[in-house]
Amino acid sequence: MLDFLQALIWGILLGGMYALIAIGMTLIMGVMKIINLAHGALVMVGMYITYVLNVQFGLDPYIGLFIAMPTLFLLGALIQLLLINRIIDVDAILPENQVLLTVGIMVVLTETMRLLFHSDYRSVQTSYASENIHIGGISLSVPMTIGFFVALVFVLLLHLFLKKTHYGRMIRATAEDRIAAQYMGIPPKTVTVVTFGLGSALAAAGGALLLPIFYLWPDIGHLFTAKAFIITILGGLGSIVGAFFGGLLIGVFESLGATYVSMGYKDVYGLVVFLLVLLFLPGGLKSLRFPALRRER
Amino acid sequence: MFLRKLRVWKVPFMLVLALALILGGCSGGGNNTVNTGMNQPASGTDQTTKNEAIKIGVILPLTGSEAMFGEMEKNAMLLAYEELEQAGKTTIDGKKIELLFEDDQSKQDSAKAAAEKLINQDRVAMLSGGYASSNTNVIASTAQAMKVPFLIITGSADDITRQGWNYVFRGTAAPASKYTGAMWDFMDTVVKPKTAAVIYENTDFGTSSAKGFRESAASRGIEIVYDQSYEKGALDFKPILSNMKKKDPDIIFAVSYVMDAALIVKQMKEVDLNPKLFIGGAAGYTMPEFKENAGSASEYISSTTLWVPNVAWKGAKEFYENYKEKYSKEADYHGAQAYASMYLIADALSRAASADRDAIQLALKETKLDTIMGPIAFEDWDGYTNQNKPTTYVVQWQEGKLEVIWPEDAASKSYVYPVPTWKER
Repeated sequence: MLDFLQALIWGILLGGMYALIAIGMTLIMGVMKIINLAHGALVMVGMYITYVLNVQFGLDPYIGLFIAMPTLFLLGALIQLLLINRIIDVDAILPENQVLLTVGIMVVLTETMRLLFHSDYRSVQTSYASENIHIGGISLSVPMTIGFFVALVFVLLLHLFLKKTHYGRMIRATAEDRIAAQYMGIPPKTVTVVTFGLGSALAAAGGALLLPIFYLWPDIGHLFTAKAFIITILGGLGSIVGAFFGGLLIGVFESLGATYVSMGYKDVYGLVVFLLVLLFLPGGLKSLRFPALRRER
Repeated sequence: MFLRKLRVWKVPFMLVLALALILGGCSGGGNNTVNTGMNQPASGTDQTTKNEAIKIGVILPLTGSEAMFGEMEKNAMLLAYEELEQAGKTTIDGKKIELLFEDDQSKQDSAKAAAEKLINQDRVAMLSGGYASSNTNVIASTAQAMKVPFLIITGSADDITRQGWNYVFRGTAAPASKYTGAMWDFMDTVVKPKTAAVIYENTDFGTSSAKGFRESAASRGIEIVYDQSYEKGALDFKPILSNMKKKDPDIIFAVSYVMDAALIVKQMKEVDLNPKLFIGGAAGYTMPEFKENAGSASEYISSTTLWVPNVAWKGAKEFYENYKEKYSKEADYHGAQAYASMYLIADALSRAASADRDAIQLALKETKLDTIMGPIAFEDWDGYTNQNKPTTYVVQWQEGKLEVIWPEDAASKSYVYPVPTWKER
């Protein structure tokens, strides 16, 4: 029983950080209706920024986070403003040429980082990296616990921003019906720029929170893109609350699978959940009849 | 709900497209052929066939998750090439040896494509390279089918040289199950464990090593109380480590690439898992990056290895220092493998004295060369074809330095066994 609880808690802690990354993706998905395949690469860039701040200036990753986030906001906003907005109105044979553009952006970001940092694996050394808190036979890794709660705070802040602020409402309106929003005087291009920036900033936050427990190399982005993609589908495209619980679910599934089945099939668990959801719950978690989820639309 | 606004077919299309791109790895980096800048002799008018280069195709992971190793091996080869060039050994019968580096993107299908491109398009005289065992296997079968000599640098799964492929040579790498020669000697003399746990990445190399370990353990009556594979690149090893802790094994044998290795030992500290000895099956546990990333958790971790800088073979120390000076990084046995392989290539080509593939195959077969990895010859033994007999070592991290602890006559420091528990440190 204790084992089960332990595995469950490890899964939830990890899942919280996955969720933060996935929420960035789902936000962009909601407003722009495209899967941002450069999302993992943005996480990677955020991690490199945090890494450099740590190594060059001795900044703790959790403080570096607050520099990485605005930087990535700017990067994301510029990508949307200068690249994606340009092709949004163009008719092409493929309806989703914006998706292909994000693949291109991903390759450019990855190779730029390889140019700057080579393919070496890097990680930050912190005093608390291998510290643990013990509560009644359950051990909690300090960086994972901090990461989880910081992620939780960001999710709540985002939720409040979208619900309570004027700009948040504009974003939600654009997500719901772009053309109607435009009639109401909302400038959709500006909104998409801000949204992409926000999504990128969240990606950076997720990366920075993972940095003390994981490591870093230029191709790490694929891992996060795949995870975030599965979670986004799992939560129901564009749903923030859905993505949050989807992230937790994937974390728990991976942890329980590794404990009770085999760690050799780590990636299979996520994909199995993914297929089950597509088959039996095509709308994702948000199509479950939870009032809170339904209201969010 | 915004999905209503999309035309119905758009969503499935997009999902399928996205999934295909994600699962395809979306790296799309393309094959970056690196012409090493070894210029063709600039003779101007004399562009006859006599001056054509002897092309050697080298397939290494230059992008993707194994890129770090590929980069080190490429650098080490170029270092050896420069030395050979200064000694005038890169020109054979008026033809210059030219290295064509091809990227396998750490993926099997790209490795095959790279091998085919080098053979059919560039018409290379021979192939070299091969880092991950699975990719090496693919390159080896392609080379054998097209009768192109292939000198393996690192790929070590047993079965690569057990297929009777006479065009495939493995000099600088031991078969994975033979990495442990010195380790078993050490076990029999010093450790004498009763129980053991095995964890390994589920790659060709990992599975091969684990299989070899299981067989040797069984013949010694060592009980394997925990046996688990994992997917490399995992983030959280605590589930398997805490399962392992319940079995309390005397020793742990682990086969991992470098960052998995660092995470495993760091998380071992977290779950307070205390075997009497933790021994890695080469690969990750000997690398400078392992120590850097694992920090203090790397202390007393042992590993088998094929090479260490302070080994007695001639030129080993010089290689280590020259490499460090030129690339301001430390090389481990992977670099040594590539460096020695370049010398093997130059040696075989000078004896073959032509770019003819069969002549090169014959010359390789007759190789007897002292390298920084010891004397190398391609022999047929124990069902292996063209396989050098390896020398192995046991090393241990002590005070942040990798020290040879076995065999005893090569030891640079005496071993620490049993190692102190995490709390005692």
